[in-house]
Amino acid sequence: MSALLELDGVTAGYGGGDVLHELTLSVDEGGITCVVGPNGAGKSTILRLVSGLIKPRLGGVRFHGESITGLTPRQILQLGIVQVPQERSLFPTMTVWENVRMGAYTLSDRALMERRMRTVCETFPIVAERRHERVAALSGGQQKIVEFARALMLDPKLLVLDEPSMGLDPKTHTVVFDLIRDMNRAGRTILLVEQNARSGLGLASHGVVLESGRVRLEGTGAGVLGNGEIGRLFLGAPV
Amino acid sequence: MTLILEAVVFGILTGGVYALMASGLTLIFGVMRIINVGHGALVILGAYLSFALLRSANIDPFVSLVITMPAMFLIGVVLQVIFIRPLKDDREALSVLVTYAIALGIEGLLGYLFTNNFVQLNAWYETASFAVFGFHIAYVYLFGFGLCLAVLGAIFVLLYRTTFGSAVRATMLNRTAAQLVGVNVDRVSAIAFGIGVSTAAAGGVIFGMTNAFNPGSHYDLISRLLTIIVLGGLGSLRGAVIAAVAMLIIEDVTAVVISPVWASFAFFLLLVIVLVVRPQGLYGIRVRERI
Repeated sequence: MSALLELDGVTAGYGGGDVLHELTLSVDEGGITCVVGPNGAGKSTILRLVSGLIKPRLGGVRFHGESITGLTPRQILQLGIVQVPQERSLFPTMTVWENVRMGAYTLSDRALMERRMRTVCETFPIVAERRHERVAALSGGQQKIVEFARALMLDPKLLVLDEPSMGLDPKTHTVVFDLIRDMNRAGRTILLVEQNARSGLGLASHGVVLESGRVRLEGTGAGVLGNGEIGRLFLGAPV
Repeated sequence: MTLILEAVVFGILTGGVYALMASGLTLIFGVMRIINVGHGALVILGAYLSFALLRSANIDPFVSLVITMPAMFLIGVVLQVIFIRPLKDDREALSVLVTYAIALGIEGLLGYLFTNNFVQLNAWYETASFAVFGFHIAYVYLFGFGLCLAVLGAIFVLLYRTTFGSAVRATMLNRTAAQLVGVNVDRVSAIAFGIGVSTAAAGGVIFGMTNAFNPGSHYDLISRLLTIIVLGGLGSLRGAVIAAVAMLIIEDVTAVVISPVWASFAFFLLLVIVLVVRPQGLYGIRVRERI
């Protein structure tokens, strides 16, 4: 598989200092790459960097081999990189329909938008069933599905998911991870950051363990899960 | 009974004017999470612009809005780009200082150009009135209320019936998520600030026709406007409208039934009660701050 997204020696952070230190990472096209690590390791910073919310101080980001360093979030979105942020990324007082339509905000072709709306409704029937309800009235799992529906409105090449299991009960967690697997089987490349390392790595074709802004270990998802040292340090118990 | 009814009607009509002024303030807070302490001064600036057009070109104050509202929109966009956009960290606190500085700047400029003497906008309908059920209503209040409905209606249509409005609401609700769906939040913020400031021009005309004003009149005005948006819920247009009308009705009825001395006290009592029960105000969204 070829690399769809590459981070090349990236150093980045916020006003308080660098969080990522000369990080090099690649996301293979068609696969699921899962980044795990303790709190503060820089997992979410990677996603903010990829989505253009922050800029790297050093190094660069490439998508399909082209540099996307310094592009705005809107420009990155138009290239086909869509992020579903951590919990509560919907617009709570808007309806389900309005939220999903906001996913196509950058589209000017109304006919294309309507076609995408129909496709999304077929994939996620809840969008049509509860279209007039405010999203705040939905359960956590239903809100996550609406977030996925909104993300698919741009038919993304790369879907970036920030801790999709956060705040979900075990049953809904299973449903959400099944949806992630389905979206990947439908041909989408997925970059996943997940606190629940077992779930994330269990799903992933490529696993990355991050520690203090650097890659501690990478390999196949199963390979990382099976690493005894990593298991003890980050996964809580022998695997 | 007639006096109470008259107070209620008068409260609704003047409440509409305050709703118009407060709607701009709450729109700005909603989109940018900044407290525009300079909003009262911008209202007074709007009143002075109409005053200048009346004095120099004899343009009717309401007609002058065709000029002053676009002008104030541009002033708002420029102020946002120069003074507000650079604020990246601790926006809410710094914005108070920056917008207070803007207010002082406007006050100083108006004092230099127009002196500190009180002035008032004049037109035939300022004093003329008509009778309804035995009491008299000045035309200016009716026209002012009509203007408020038109401007507030236009804002509601903009927010709820246009793509740009969706972007504004999305930015108000979740700035980062709005960026991630492709909304240019800097552009939306500048335009929203411009719209908020242009409503100050409309509010300024009615304020200037119903009150004598000078460059320092913004202090009393901003305290009332802030009270209104806190009661209505910061960032809520609907809350600002309801709180403004409630404030004026309560004040006017209290003035008639008890005494004008207790008018403001009665409203502030209601404010305290509401905030004890609902700290986020009537229509505000409760947020938890991460520490």
